Amino acid sequence: MRLLFSLYRARAAGLLLALALSCLTLVAGVALFGVSGWFLTGAALAVSAMSFDLFAPSAMVRGFSFLRIASRYGERLAGHATTFKILSDIRVRVFSRLIPLVPFKAAAHRTGDFVARLTADVEALDMMFLQLVAPVATAILGAVGLGLFLGFVLPDALVAALVGFALTALLLPILIVLAGRRSGAETVRTAAELRVAVLDGIDGHADLVTLGATREAIEAIDRATASVRTARLRQSWRIACGPAFVVLGAGATLIATLWAGLGTLEAGGVSGPLLVAALLAVTAIFEVAGSILRGAGRLGATSAAARRVQALVDTEPTIRDRADPVALPATGPVRFENIGFSYGRDRSILAGLDLDIGFGERIAIIGESGSGKSTLLALLLRLADADQGRIRIGGVDIRDVRQADLHAHVALLSQDAPVFIGTIRDNLRIADPAADDAALFQALERARLAEFVRGLPQGLGTWLGESGQTLSAGQARRLCLARTLLSPAKVVLLDEPTAGLDRPTEAAFLADLLAVTAGRTVVLATHAALPEGAVDTVYRLENGALRRNG
Amino acid sequence: MSIIDSTPAAPKAAPSREIKWLRRQGRVGRGALGLAVMVPLVSACLTVTQAYWLAMILHRAIVDQVPAASQVPAITALGGMILARAVLAWIGEAAGIRAAEDVKQAVRRQLFADLMRRGPDWMRQRASGELASQILDQVEALDGYFARFVPAMIAAGLVPVAFAVVLMPVDLVVGLLLLLTAPLIPVFMALAGWGAEAASRQHLTALARLSGLFADRIRGLVVLKLFGRAEDEIARVRGASDEFAVRTLAVLRIAFLSSAVLEFFAALGVAGVALYVGLTYLDMIDLRGSALGLQAGLFCLLMAPEVYLPLRTLAAHYHDRANAKAAVANIEAAFGALPEAAPSPATSAPVGARLAGRRALAVAAVDLTVETPERGTILSSATFEIGAGETVALLGPSGIGKSTLIEVLARLRGHSGRVEIDGIALDAIEEGALRRKVAVLGQRPRLFHGTIASNIRLGRPHASDREVREAAERACVLDFADRLPEGLDTPVGERGSGLSGGEAQRVALARIFLRDPGLILLDEPTAHLDAETEARVVQAILAFAWGRSLLVATHSMAVAEQMGRICVIDGAGQIVPFEAAAALELDGAA
Repeated sequence: MRLLFSLYRARAAGLLLALALSCLTLVAGVALFGVSGWFLTGAALAVSAMSFDLFAPSAMVRGFSFLRIASRYGERLAGHATTFKILSDIRVRVFSRLIPLVPFKAAAHRTGDFVARLTADVEALDMMFLQLVAPVATAILGAVGLGLFLGFVLPDALVAALVGFALTALLLPILIVLAGRRSGAETVRTAAELRVAVLDGIDGHADLVTLGATREAIEAIDRATASVRTARLRQSWRIACGPAFVVLGAGATLIATLWAGLGTLEAGGVSGPLLVAALLAVTAIFEVAGSILRGAGRLGATSAAARRVQALVDTEPTIRDRADPVALPATGPVRFENIGFSYGRDRSILAGLDLDIGFGERIAIIGESGSGKSTLLALLLRLADADQGRIRIGGVDIRDVRQADLHAHVALLSQDAPVFIGTIRDNLRIADPAADDAALFQALERARLAEFVRGLPQGLGTWLGESGQTLSAGQARRLCLARTLLSPAKVVLLDEPTAGLDRPTEAAFLADLLAVTAGRTVVLATHAALPEGAVDTVYRLENGALRRNG
Repeated sequence: MSIIDSTPAAPKAAPSREIKWLRRQGRVGRGALGLAVMVPLVSACLTVTQAYWLAMILHRAIVDQVPAASQVPAITALGGMILARAVLAWIGEAAGIRAAEDVKQAVRRQLFADLMRRGPDWMRQRASGELASQILDQVEALDGYFARFVPAMIAAGLVPVAFAVVLMPVDLVVGLLLLLTAPLIPVFMALAGWGAEAASRQHLTALARLSGLFADRIRGLVVLKLFGRAEDEIARVRGASDEFAVRTLAVLRIAFLSSAVLEFFAALGVAGVALYVGLTYLDMIDLRGSALGLQAGLFCLLMAPEVYLPLRTLAAHYHDRANAKAAVANIEAAFGALPEAAPSPATSAPVGARLAGRRALAVAAVDLTVETPERGTILSSATFEIGAGETVALLGPSGIGKSTLIEVLARLRGHSGRVEIDGIALDAIEEGALRRKVAVLGQRPRLFHGTIASNIRLGRPHASDREVREAAERACVLDFADRLPEGLDTPVGERGSGLSGGEAQRVALARIFLRDPGLILLDEPTAHLDAETEARVVQAILAFAWGRSLLVATHSMAVAEQMGRICVIDGAGQIVPFEAAAALELDGAA
């Protein structure tokens, strides 16, 4: 919630405007109903039309009507306009906080689920103000207004009306949130079991088919959905209390006000018309309770989302720059010295690894998948730090230079390199914002994608991703390869650059790898068969260490 | 029932396919849904009574000056009506939730059963997380449509008209005023609905686009960071957000007019009734024959906002409809079609040929060509045979197509050319018979949520504990299971957490040892094992395979040498005897 409130502070003006309009809408509604009752009763009691001041009440009725219409419209517009600004603020804030944090070491953060969840969490925060904060603030201010009015007109009913309103509009939603938190545990548990059962069925589909056990899997889902339903129905008894208590609270408050008012009327403390006005005003103010209740129903999910986003924003980056970084030599060999690295306790990936790569040398690292090739490349970019040993470029430990300098010096084509939503030109220029079209085509040429791009009606301006051109896996791979080759970095790391390419294209690419990377240091991690002379040296990575191949 | 969807004034005259499908699903929860729909209607009758009663109490107190003490019975009755409405509200809400739960449960079952009927080829091309999200999250988004929107829609169609009719005997003019506006109510509803839907659709689209961009940039954040471009992307995310905001606000400015229209009529109702009744009292208007009492006037005033309340409730729940519609569209996109409740999906008779009871099954593949979307041509006009009772090893560098061949033989992957098992075309074999007689161990078998023992028992559901333990011992599962405090009863969680890849594979091997196949297809059964364990596992496999046919894809020469014959997939997509490929340098096979 801290995050949200700091965002709200930044947009205080817009939020206050929305809030003021929301209060005005409520007040106009309450006043319209109250004045109508007052006027109507007064007219009924009037001895003659002459003695009755017709002008003031009819003007007020008309005035409040139009005020209500205009403020309702303004409230919705102002609220949404500010919400959109906050929506943009949240995304920018989360995005900029993530930059120093990625890549996450924990596996849970590496999956696509993480991005999906973060996106959903951020979305859940968007509407918090309109759905909950604004109605609650409106209710509190509305209660103050009602209190002032009753204080003048019907003081005897003041306590009953305010207590009834506060219990219904403010305390009841809190109770519902608390009750939901307790009884929600069973729902969450059964939903998690259903999720597991569904993923079991989908991920294990091939196993289930070969075991002839799809029927059993369907039965397991039947059981899991049935227990989700049972848990939800049990919870529904509590949820259903919300609207019931709003009806009850509004009704009880009306009766309490009525009872106090009738007594006052009898004692001559209030006129008939003002009694009716007070009663109708009390009835009308409960309109805000409904929206609070709806907002409270969503609070559980929203606060869970807020907690997760807050935790992420509060995470400290594990890899930092030194306070006094040294300069990185423009050229120089890359040396891995006695490197050890493991994921978790006992998943040792690299152990005692040594590697010397002369400046401008082109090497390949081969090995089974999972042998640590990608990890080795990641260490050179400080996407993770080695547990043991050191890596030097031109004699300087890479932990002593600025990460930005290191990243400018070393370019990586990772296995999961993405194509971004945007044009082909946008995608390529990520590597070199200043590159002109000729340079872009040169890079595409090297990645063997230029012909395809020239064939597109909009060429480099073709929009990729959502509602744009879709690329095949092989084309996407080549686009990412072109992007990496475009980078002016002196050291180029290619992790399975030919995955997704058909065999002839792969062979052709590998055959002229030397030509397209002239003057740069290249580390190629692959399990493709390398043609003779594609690189200077081939190493095999096995049991955490390297040995020369062949 | 379809006042919103079928009114001629609505821009979309016919309900969309998504909504029609939703309505069909609603039949499942008919009982509860009927109750949820009835409750607001019954509650509306009480609303009328309550307003009448309150007006009566006020009339007696103000005009007749009846003392408060003698009004106690009337006030108690008022309390009773309020209590009854509260109980009804509870019932209506609970019934709505029940209806939604019934529908969601049924839809989830249908979707999952539909998935299980799909072929492995179809499944392979989809992300499991996305499919799971359809069954879990998208179906959840149908909740509000059944729990809240449908009851609100029907109440909005009936209640305002009913209220207008009830008011006519009290005062013809007020009643007529509302009745005359009654034919307009569907128009207002269409307006409100159109506005709310347009607003919500625009909002959802803008959000989806923005979230899509945001997710896209986060997914690629490492790449952006490495190219030193991450900071620039902040500006792009900001720019895109602002652009969406401007565009969406332009639409909302019009869409929100609908809430202003609703507010206009509600205010007009209250103000109109107040002015008309007030002026009648003052004899400035005389449209009635008889005098109007305070009770009747107050009753009309109290009812005026109630006429428009159902419309407001509907507008508040309109986003539930938009969300449900979007969810249905998502499900349709992910599944290719919307599932319909099949009359009796479980009782379909088995189709296809049965396999003979013979123990060992022969395999023959001729002119076998396999192309995958991911890796192009894997096998090209290959020929391959396994004699009945033969044991065959399959070698070749990783990525060459060993797993693909096993998937083809297990009928888990499409192919062209002819494949026969025991002389019967693979496609013609009845599913149950094929699965009983052909056992498969994949490279990354799935461990299901449960215990090690329950996973092994999947091989034969009625196997005794002793048989499970024996199978576990033969597959060297006990090597690690006995070191765990709970042994074979150790829980294995989502994605087989707790066990390594090699351990999971031995559990899956133990499953096969509980079965009685005529053909065994194993994909790297000894990957990740040390030499000593590998030797024991291979001995157990060979013992089990005695009198059956066996194909083992492996990288281990030690394993391959134990088999009767060794084959190799070569670079040209052919399956050749190992001897013929001896000249070939077997990179990765050592």
